[in-house]
Order: sequence, then C-alpha cells, then structure tokens
Amino acid sequence: MKRGTRPSGAQTLQWVSERGIFFFTAALVAFAALFIDNFVSIVNITDVFHRAAPIGIVAVGMTFVVISGNYLDLSVVAQVATAAVVLIAVSNSAGLGLAVLAALAIALLYGVVNGVAVGYLRANAVIVTLSTTFVGLGILRWLSGGSIFFGPPDGPIRALGQVKVVGLPLSALVLVVMTAALAFLLGRTNFGFLIRSFGSNRTATRLAGVDTSRVVVGAFLITSLSAMVAGFVLAAFSNTAVSTMAQGFDFGALAAIIIGGTSVFGGKGSVLRTLLGVIFVSVLTNILVLSKIGFGWQQMAIGALIVLAVSVDTLARKAARR
Amino acid sequence: MNSTPTLSLGPATTDRSARLRAALARRTEWRGLALLAVVVVATLSFEPLVFTAYPVTLGRVALIGLVALGLTAVILMGELDLSVASTLAVAGVVMASIPNVALGIVVALCAGLLIGLVNAFFVVKVGINSFIATLGMLFVLRGLAFVLSGEKPVRMADIEAGIAFGAPIIGPITPRVLIFVLVFIGLQIFVTKVRAGREFYAVGGNRQAARDAGIPVSRRLVTGFMLSGFVAALAGVINTMERTAADPTAGSTVLLASIAAAIIGGVALTGGRGSIVGTLVGALSLGIIEVGLTLSGVQVDVQQIFIGGVLLLAVITDPASFRAVVGNARSFLSGRRGETPA
Repeated sequence: MKRGTRPSGAQTLQWVSERGIFFFTAALVAFAALFIDNFVSIVNITDVFHRAAPIGIVAVGMTFVVISGNYLDLSVVAQVATAAVVLIAVSNSAGLGLAVLAALAIALLYGVVNGVAVGYLRANAVIVTLSTTFVGLGILRWLSGGSIFFGPPDGPIRALGQVKVVGLPLSALVLVVMTAALAFLLGRTNFGFLIRSFGSNRTATRLAGVDTSRVVVGAFLITSLSAMVAGFVLAAFSNTAVSTMAQGFDFGALAAIIIGGTSVFGGKGSVLRTLLGVIFVSVLTNILVLSKIGFGWQQMAIGALIVLAVSVDTLARKAARR
Repeated sequence: MNSTPTLSLGPATTDRSARLRAALARRTEWRGLALLAVVVVATLSFEPLVFTAYPVTLGRVALIGLVALGLTAVILMGELDLSVASTLAVAGVVMASIPNVALGIVVALCAGLLIGLVNAFFVVKVGINSFIATLGMLFVLRGLAFVLSGEKPVRMADIEAGIAFGAPIIGPITPRVLIFVLVFIGLQIFVTKVRAGREFYAVGGNRQAARDAGIPVSRRLVTGFMLSGFVAALAGVINTMERTAADPTAGSTVLLASIAAAIIGGVALTGGRGSIVGTLVGALSLGIIEVGLTLSGVQVDVQQIFIGGVLLLAVITDPASFRAVVGNARSFLSGRRGETPA
C-alpha cells in the first residue's frame, strides 16, 4: 500500500511546484474576496495595485537576470531611486523630455556596466551589482543631498499619476503591458530562447556558437530598463522622489520571482509566474494589513513562503529522480 | 634517508625556495594586501590621524569585520549566509528583552547557534540552495526581530553594564576590538590547524571529492552555518551592549559590508579559496578607507562611492576575469580574421 501511494505523493509535489502558484494565487484572491472585509473596494484594489506595480515592474524585468542563471540584480535599489529623482529633479529644471532622456541614459549605463562585468568578465553577479549599488546610491545621495524632490502640483508627472484606466491607476496598466511585452520577449523570441538556454546550460549554449556574453548584457539591460520604468511609476504616483524610496526592492523583487516558481539556478521560470508571485505577495500583505497584523508578521510570512516554495520545488525534483 | 636515494623526487621540486614560491603563489590575499598597502600609504600622507587615533579605526574595523569573519567560514564552503544581518538584530532584541545581562547574552548566543542550525537544516536536509534558504531566513528573522521588539527599540534593563562595556579595558582597546581579535585568532586556528576547519576548504573546493574522501560534508556544513550564526549573534550582543538598547532594524548595512570585506580579501564566492586573514585584510582596508575619508571631511555618500569602486575593482581584477577577457579577445580577433577574407 505504501509503495502504491509514493508516486502519487511525488506527483502531488510536482503538480504543486509546477502549477501551484496559479492555483494558490486564485485561491488567495478568492479567500480575500469572500472573507476579508473591505478587500473588494475600489479604494483597496487601487491601493494594492499602487503598492504592487513598482516592485512588480522591477520583478518582471529582473526575471531575465534570474533565468539567465545570474541570481539577481541588487542595484535595482539604486536604479529605481535614480530614475525617480532624475525624472522629477531634471524635469523641474530642464523639462520632461530631457529628464526622460537622462534617466534612459543612466539606465543603459547601469545595464551595460553590470552586463559587461558579469557577461564578458565572468564576475559574480551578486558582487558586481552590490558594488554598482554602493557607487550608484552614493552618487545619487551625494548629488541630491538626500533631499526630497517635489514635482509641480499641476505638472505632467502629477497628471499621469492621476490617470485612471477602467477605474484602475495607470501604474497597473503599465505593469500588465510590461508583463505582456516581456513574456513575449522571453517566451517567443530568439533572444528569450537564448536567455533560457544559457540559464539551463551555459557550456552547451557557448559551444553552440552563441555569443553568451552579449546575451547576459541583454538580460541586465532589460532589468535596468524595467527599473527605470518602475522609478517613473513610483515618482508619478506620489509626485515626489527621494534617494531612499526603493529600499528593499532588491530582495523584495527576488522574493516575488522565487515564490512565482522561477528557479534561481536559471533556465526554469516565466514572466507570467513572476506576475503571479507579485500578486500573491501583494494580496497576502494586503490581507495582513487589513487584518491589522503588523509588519513583523508580514516579513515572516514572506520569508516562510520563500523557503516553502523552494522546498516544494526541491523535494519534487528529488521525488522525480527516484 | 641515505639508504633509499631512489625514492627522492629530485632536488628541483623539493627545493626549499621553490616550495616557498609555490606556497606564496597559492595565497589568495595578494590583491587585498596590495589594496591595503595603497590605502595605508595614501592615508599616511593625507590623513595620518587615522593611525594616531587608532582606537577609533580599530573600532570601525571590528564593526565591519566581526560578522565578515563568521561569514567567511560559510563562503569557504561555497555557500552563502544572507541571514547574518537579521540574526544580529534578533540576537540584540532577545538579549535586551531579558533583564539579567549574563542570561541575556547566553540566550542570544544560543539563538544565533539555533538560527545557524535551522539554516543548515534547509541546506543539508531539504537540499535548498543556501542563497535562497538564507534569503527566506533574512525575511523571517527580520520579521521576528520586529515582532519580539514590538516594532520599536528595546532598552537594556541594566544600562550600567552596557556603559561599563563600552569603556576601554587594556590601554585604549575596547571589549569590541578585543572580542574581534579573539574571534579572528580562534577562526584562523580553526581553519588552518584543526582538521574539521581544514576540511571546509575541501567541501568548498570539490564537494563530491570531499564526500568520496570520507569527509562528513553535511556535518561540516552544519558547523559552518552555526559558526556564522554564532558570530552574527555575538555582533548583535556587542552592538546592544554598546548602545544599551537593541534596534530591530539594526545591522541593515552589515550584510553587504561583510560580503564586501571577504571579497576584497580574496575569498572566492565559489568556495575553496580564501582565508580568514584575507577577510581581516579586507575589513582593515574598508575600515581605514572609511575612517580616513570621514576624518578628511568626506561625506558618507562619497565614501560609499569609494567602497563600491574598490569592490568592483576587486571583483574584475580576479584572475578568472582576466582569463575571460583574454578568451573573449582571442575569439573576437579570430572571428574577425575568419571574416575578412570572405
């Protein structure tokens, strides 16, 4: 009897690790809608999207770096804050067009520096992006003096932050569009295929004649551009920007990616999974907030989820090998 | 010896100077030492106060370096412990919540050992990559520190003990520096002279080979994570004693600074290469840079730029990076040569 049940246990684990996040996210949203007071209200749903959108946009972009087998990009903390501060500060003095161009140039610079160091110099991504975080945040705080920048109350950034699309804030639409575009890029294009194959087997991809270094630069560029968009969304939402505004985005985005079921060993995962991970974490946090459960418990829940998600994945793979 | 001359391996390989040269070539601290030399010369010429006011500098080095020393034990085995900063915060809060100082210290240190054991459980038993397991623990423990403290700083019951702890004991040496030195000596002896510690290198260098050679890999991993947890908790205790209060957000910059110290000292994240001395060299360099820049009136933000630049330099001057660049250039050039005739 015991022998008979074992494969079914392994199958359950495998099902949970592969399809679980779709089911659990739906179940969590249904639970919240049914049992949590005030969850289904325009104010609350708007709030959930406002909080989820910036870190979600970072996470869908960073999925490329994770799937390429390079762990994460710690420097998104500096990148998001820099994009937000540049957008508001430069547009105050030199106009919106120049501000966007400046932010774009900085994002490209981050992507190229991180990508070249990791891709061409084969340096460890954690250390490279750690050092670019130090340098980037240092420059940002030094130049901004750590002060808060306000956009004009009748300016275009403020107006964009107030736009609603079918009742939802523009940031939610940006998150959805970014997810769709990046999901297409990762799942349906040659570049996406190369990222995934590099993540699952570096040597084989290299031996197949692919310029793998360039692929890695591409993954970091996508992350940087997403971080820039996230910075814009964050700045438009509050019409303010400060160098500390993206604290915790590095590991927060990675947590959503892992909970979505993307493997940090590279090769396995998808952008849609990351979106589900973001929704799952945001809805769970919202439920805890609405139930007046403190910040400490919220952090513990996220940590436990990371360990749980990866434990299930690991045990499923072990069971499959048996 | 004279009766079995055929067994000697030839004079060239056993020659003393050759052996010495080989031993020196194996060391991993050269880049760290070069940086330290540059830093020392630069500070001596621009801000000699760094060395006349050495108690301040040593205090800074001990602050950066203590957690890094414990972390090095884990990195040597090719694993990572991202939970050290949260462990520091939890240990501090636990200690401050217990009225009796001695009991508080013991419980906090035991908490550190326990956290290391939990980390090791997920890595060894469940088989999760240590990067993720300890990332999860980073969140869990940070949350725990907030829950235990009620989201606000906890004051020590016995403030007198804390004030006494901050005072210098031997000359200008504070207990923090003394503990740092003791931990350094202890760990240095452990990984170079004690068998279990030396086996850390084997576990990090080639895990399968270590297992085949009969090294209890799982038990070494448990030891490493418990060491790292213990040292992080010790740092939390010291912080709490010096400030006479525990802040649940304490140590937020510790994680990145201690990884930086180890990397600058030549410890390889891939495991098997590096040393405790290297981490000390890294912490010394970082500490001297920080204090030197502070005394010269350079803002904290600009100091960060320096440290980030040094770290980037350390990682891209890795010999493996040089080989990658040469390989890239070669394939690039050969590709060009192949294209031109066509």
